[in-house]
Amino acid sequence: MSALGDPRGALADLTRPEAWVLGVSVAFLLLLFVALLSGALGATYFLFLVGLAGMYALLSFGLNSQWGFTGLINFSVAAFFGVGAYGAALMTADSSPIAGGFNPIVGLIVGLSVAFVLAVLIGIPTLRLRADYLAIASLGLAEVVRLVVLNERWLTNGSAGLRGIPSFFAGWPVLSTFPQTMPGLRLEVIPGSPVFLEEPFWRASLNVLLVLAFAGATYLTLRRAHRSPWGRVLRTIRSDEDLARALGKNTYSFKMQSFVLGSLIMALAGVFYTHLNLYVGPGDLDPITTFYVWVAVILGGSGSNRGALFGGIVIVTIREGTRFLNDFAVPIDPAPLRLLLIGVLIVVVMRYRPQGILPPQRELIWPSAVDDSGTPDRPTSGVREQKHSDDRDGNGPNGGDDDE
Amino acid sequence: MSDSANATTNATTGRTGSDEPDEPDESDAAGSPQIGAVAGKDDAVLRVDDLQKSFGGLTATDHATFEVERGTITGLIGPNGAGKSTLFNLISGFYDPDGGTVTVNGTDVTGMEPYEVAEHGLIRTFQTPRKLEGMTVREAMLVGPRNQPGESFLSLFTSPGTVADSESANLADAERILAEFEIDHLATQPATDISGGQMKLVELARAMLAEPEVLLLDEPVAGVNPTLAKKLKTQIRRLNEQGTTFVLIEHDMEFVMDLADPIIVLDQGSVLTEGTPEGVRSDDRVIEAYLGGGA
Repeated sequence: MSALGDPRGALADLTRPEAWVLGVSVAFLLLLFVALLSGALGATYFLFLVGLAGMYALLSFGLNSQWGFTGLINFSVAAFFGVGAYGAALMTADSSPIAGGFNPIVGLIVGLSVAFVLAVLIGIPTLRLRADYLAIASLGLAEVVRLVVLNERWLTNGSAGLRGIPSFFAGWPVLSTFPQTMPGLRLEVIPGSPVFLEEPFWRASLNVLLVLAFAGATYLTLRRAHRSPWGRVLRTIRSDEDLARALGKNTYSFKMQSFVLGSLIMALAGVFYTHLNLYVGPGDLDPITTFYVWVAVILGGSGSNRGALFGGIVIVTIREGTRFLNDFAVPIDPAPLRLLLIGVLIVVVMRYRPQGILPPQRELIWPSAVDDSGTPDRPTSGVREQKHSDDRDGNGPNGGDDDE
Repeated sequence: MSDSANATTNATTGRTGSDEPDEPDESDAAGSPQIGAVAGKDDAVLRVDDLQKSFGGLTATDHATFEVERGTITGLIGPNGAGKSTLFNLISGFYDPDGGTVTVNGTDVTGMEPYEVAEHGLIRTFQTPRKLEGMTVREAMLVGPRNQPGESFLSLFTSPGTVADSESANLADAERILAEFEIDHLATQPATDISGGQMKLVELARAMLAEPEVLLLDEPVAGVNPTLAKKLKTQIRRLNEQGTTFVLIEHDMEFVMDLADPIIVLDQGSVLTEGTPEGVRSDDRVIEAYLGGGA
């Protein structure tokens, strides 16, 4: 709020990495804008990428909730993503062997419900044990879910996947017919490079709207949850579970809540993906998805939701950006290069910035309580990074509410 | 071993017998709830009865029995390997005993999870200060209060006003206690950046936010410089005068003898003896346990 009210103050309050990320992001957006106007980047494809970035952001939020805050090692991101995706697809797709034709809201509920049950079933035997056991169990779960999807044709259509998935807004008043009712537009800002905004563009716009709603609601929920006594207990468990137990915290219950919450967010990403891509197959559950999400969280900064958001966008940029390498007649296959780039990125981040690009900056204290206490809510030393300005006395502006 | 066993029995039975030290002044005992009618001290807030724990062939706790009277500072001493920390782990629920019982405030907490034991008013600290990565000192302090409304995920969305009020009150308490401990200047420092001695103070301060009836301190001044150790001693004494019962493990004999009364001596997992600092200091069995049979 205060960032909107006092943008100059908020800018002055930025740490060096925050300012750097802001600068790079603005430059990147300008580049995309130019690419859009020149026709080098299709407007509909751009919106698809935005949707994909939102999906990765959601997955990163989910893992951040588990690993970044509670220290739970979950290697089954792809499994929960797949459960959400298949749950939604099986309920709504024309080709669904067991159901199909239901309203996408039903698919959403089914996807989340199955993810909830699965998370609880995995959590019950593993969350009382050391973190390693959850890691091992989650690895197994990821493979089990992938193999079930691949082999149980009566349930999932096997390797053929599920087609004929409707848009999420199918059956909704107004929005279901919105793409058809919108007029086709032709923009020509750069002479000779017209940009067409037709039905696919408006359909993609709805997807962006959907992912913004999902990601926005998730971000706000997590922000409130993490800057609270609940979030503090999770962070304590991550640092020292015995301490939390000694102070009267039922760590098993907190870990279960964190694990289930993160898994639901991952499933939500899967539901969105189903209605974005309009097809799901076993390939969507490949372990590489889990790998990408882990990279996003580590890159952004464990425990930081805006870091997870940033990491998700970077991953999509690398993943999709490398597709165009062949356009420049680079004599190599971009797919391995993509993994190479991500590997190099992780090595560089681990070497020079192990805490991630945008680590948490704010204390996990309910915001109004900090405001009332009259002390700053963002320390200026140690693990809390120093600000751009010379304000080191701890009495600087509280800054915006736009980070955690 | 047989000597130890005999001594245990003596210490156990002696609690109601003639060689029991003088009872300390129970100025705050009147307002405390009366515990169950178990033979022993009238106002025992913690009872350990015939506690046993073995790790493979090693007996770490061997039929340990003692009671801690409300309002006292009880020292738990013994040579290395005597089983002091194991005993703390058994009492606080971190280990499940092989036999025996632990009673806190009249409730049998044997086999309970540590958080359940804490809910009955028994809080502990650890030998090595637990630094909370990524947290400031005051955040670390705010983990202390028990049963905060904001620890319920649903409450964060259904009753944010209650959460805010509780958080404000807890923050005010945390800042007050930090000021009382003279470490309020550290409030917004990262908990990982302060010294080990300061962290011990923070741990004690944080434990007080949990409003314990019994606080187990595991080597509170280990590795702490003399100035901070003195400050810790002052704070423990002050908090004890306000009604908190302390049980502390400590190797610094000067510290423990000056602060604690009574003192329980452990040797090879058993209670060797129990008494006043003077009585323990002059007990030949204690000297032998510390210095070996040749002394």
